[in-house]
Amino acid sequence: MIEVENLVKRYGNMTAVKGINFRVEPGEIVGLLGPNGAGKTTTMRMLTGFMPPTEGTIQICGFDVVEDSMSVRQRVGYMPERVPVYPDMTVEGYVTFWAKLRGVRDVRARVHAVLEQFQLLDRRKQLVRFLSKGLRQRLGLAQALVHQPPVIILDEPTIGIDPRQVIEVRDAVRSLREGHAVLFSSHILSEVEQVCDRVIIINHGQIVGEGTPETLSRQLAGRQQVFVVVEGGSDARISAFLRKIPDVVHVRAMDDGFLITTKSDVDLRPTLSRLITQEGFTIVEMRAVDASLEDVFLTLTETKQP
Amino acid sequence: MTGTPIIFRRELAAYFTSPVAYLIAAAFLVFTAITFNQDLAFAITVRPVDPALIPRVLTQLLIFIAPLLTMRLLAEENREGTLELLLTAPVSDASIVIGKYLAAWVYYTFLLALTLVYQIILVNIAFPDMSHTLGAYIGIWLYGGATLAVGLVFSALTESQVLAAFLGMIALLILYFADRIGQIVANIDLGLIIFQLTLQGHFIPTFAQGVIRAEDIVYYAGLIVVMLFVSIRLVESRRWR
Ligand SMILES: Nc1ncnc2c1ncn2[C@@H]1O[C@H](COP(=O)(O)OP(=O)(O)OP(=O)(O)O)[C@@H](O)[C@H]1O
Ligand SMILES: [Mg+2]
Repeated sequence: MIEVENLVKRYGNMTAVKGINFRVEPGEIVGLLGPNGAGKTTTMRMLTGFMPPTEGTIQICGFDVVEDSMSVRQRVGYMPERVPVYPDMTVEGYVTFWAKLRGVRDVRARVHAVLEQFQLLDRRKQLVRFLSKGLRQRLGLAQALVHQPPVIILDEPTIGIDPRQVIEVRDAVRSLREGHAVLFSSHILSEVEQVCDRVIIINHGQIVGEGTPETLSRQLAGRQQVFVVVEGGSDARISAFLRKIPDVVHVRAMDDGFLITTKSDVDLRPTLSRLITQEGFTIVEMRAVDASLEDVFLTLTETKQP
Repeated sequence: MTGTPIIFRRELAAYFTSPVAYLIAAAFLVFTAITFNQDLAFAITVRPVDPALIPRVLTQLLIFIAPLLTMRLLAEENREGTLELLLTAPVSDASIVIGKYLAAWVYYTFLLALTLVYQIILVNIAFPDMSHTLGAYIGIWLYGGATLAVGLVFSALTESQVLAAFLGMIALLILYFADRIGQIVANIDLGLIIFQLTLQGHFIPTFAQGVIRAEDIVYYAGLIVVMLFVSIRLVESRRWR
């Protein structure tokens, strides 16, 4: 339902999105995961027709975003990064405005339905300026869904709200799965892990990993992670030393020690302990760690500088 | 253009709920009322009443009022980010700009209609030339439309309402007083030509005398069309930034 091919976006001479390809099918919730500045918002703005791609094509429900912009816009529900509002409108007035503008037939019934769905019914006469962040986020969702679009694009829907409301928004997103293609961005991994069927990890405008949360975790299955706490030298010296050990692919300072990712599926712990002691350091602690999706994310997005 | 009436209605409602718009309306009424009162005091002793008094005063008042009325229209959408939702809604950029513009013009028409009170007072105490008044009101209504269109351009240009209003006022001042340049170069012909291009050049000698000329209507209508076109282009260019 969303088909993206070779998407490139340049701002002046800065390339924010560097040729990405992906698809989202109906009934699927896909998480676009990446650190700040990865190009998530830029990608979404091109999908919604807010700005044209520099290169590449986007098809939504079979319509080209550039050629058939109006058809695409009718079929997309979009919640931008910080839900933009008209502060002096009422909750009901705000949703009604977007419903009318998007040509909803039975405006009153639809507005009532989405306000009910997002538990805003008792606040419908309240001015938008007085809504808390969580309520405003729900208003953003109501606005995005009022015209029953088959494709839903949500830019960081859980940013800046408390954990209880994160759960509410997450449940709301999850309830959309039926018949919708949902693309939802975040830089918080646990969130994406819980809501999405599939995760696309982007960094510096490129896709660096893709798959279900389980497959992504398994990408590290061939590898192994060891957590060590070492004494007898400065952190920088220790970490430089660890990096030089053969079969070590990645070293990250974590808590008081280092998380070492190794290439082989042999247990590297005996070798490690021997080499570390030979170098004159002391091992205070050493244990094997299960690779989590978070490690995949950090490994993929931390190291690859362009 | 399906979006125009919807945008128009929201925008007009925003005028009637905005404290700033009420302040502008108050300033508008106080200023016209004082002028009217003074003229009336003169009229008793010195000369007959001027049937085009209010429209004549408005030509200069609008230089300041029009940009204040339009500054919010696009600058605020831009700053708040609602423009992102508008530009991804299934409506054309033109229908958004035109809907907003019409709301400003209708609100101005409402303010102008309030000044008809003065004319009612006048009819009851004097014998003004009503056709003269009517001509001048038609003129100032068009004139107002043109100044609002100029103001809109600057609201499309910047995210800052203050800057939009300020630039709008400067642009209108130039459009109004440009003929002074003709006076400086001391060339009467050049002065006359420039006068023909200014806002006052199509009002003071004609509409203010109650004379309705096609070329004056074309001038203001043309100004509106050009300014709306520029505004639409500026909104479109937002997509490329
Ligand atoms: N309008 C713009 N003009 C110039 N550069 C831009 C513009 N918008 C974004 N960028 C740059 O493009 C890159 C990608 O930005 P983008 O907003 O898409 O990232 P993001 O993944 O949404 O980040 P975040 O998690 O902070 O929202 C950034 O380096 C940003 O500075
Ligand atoms: Mg973003």
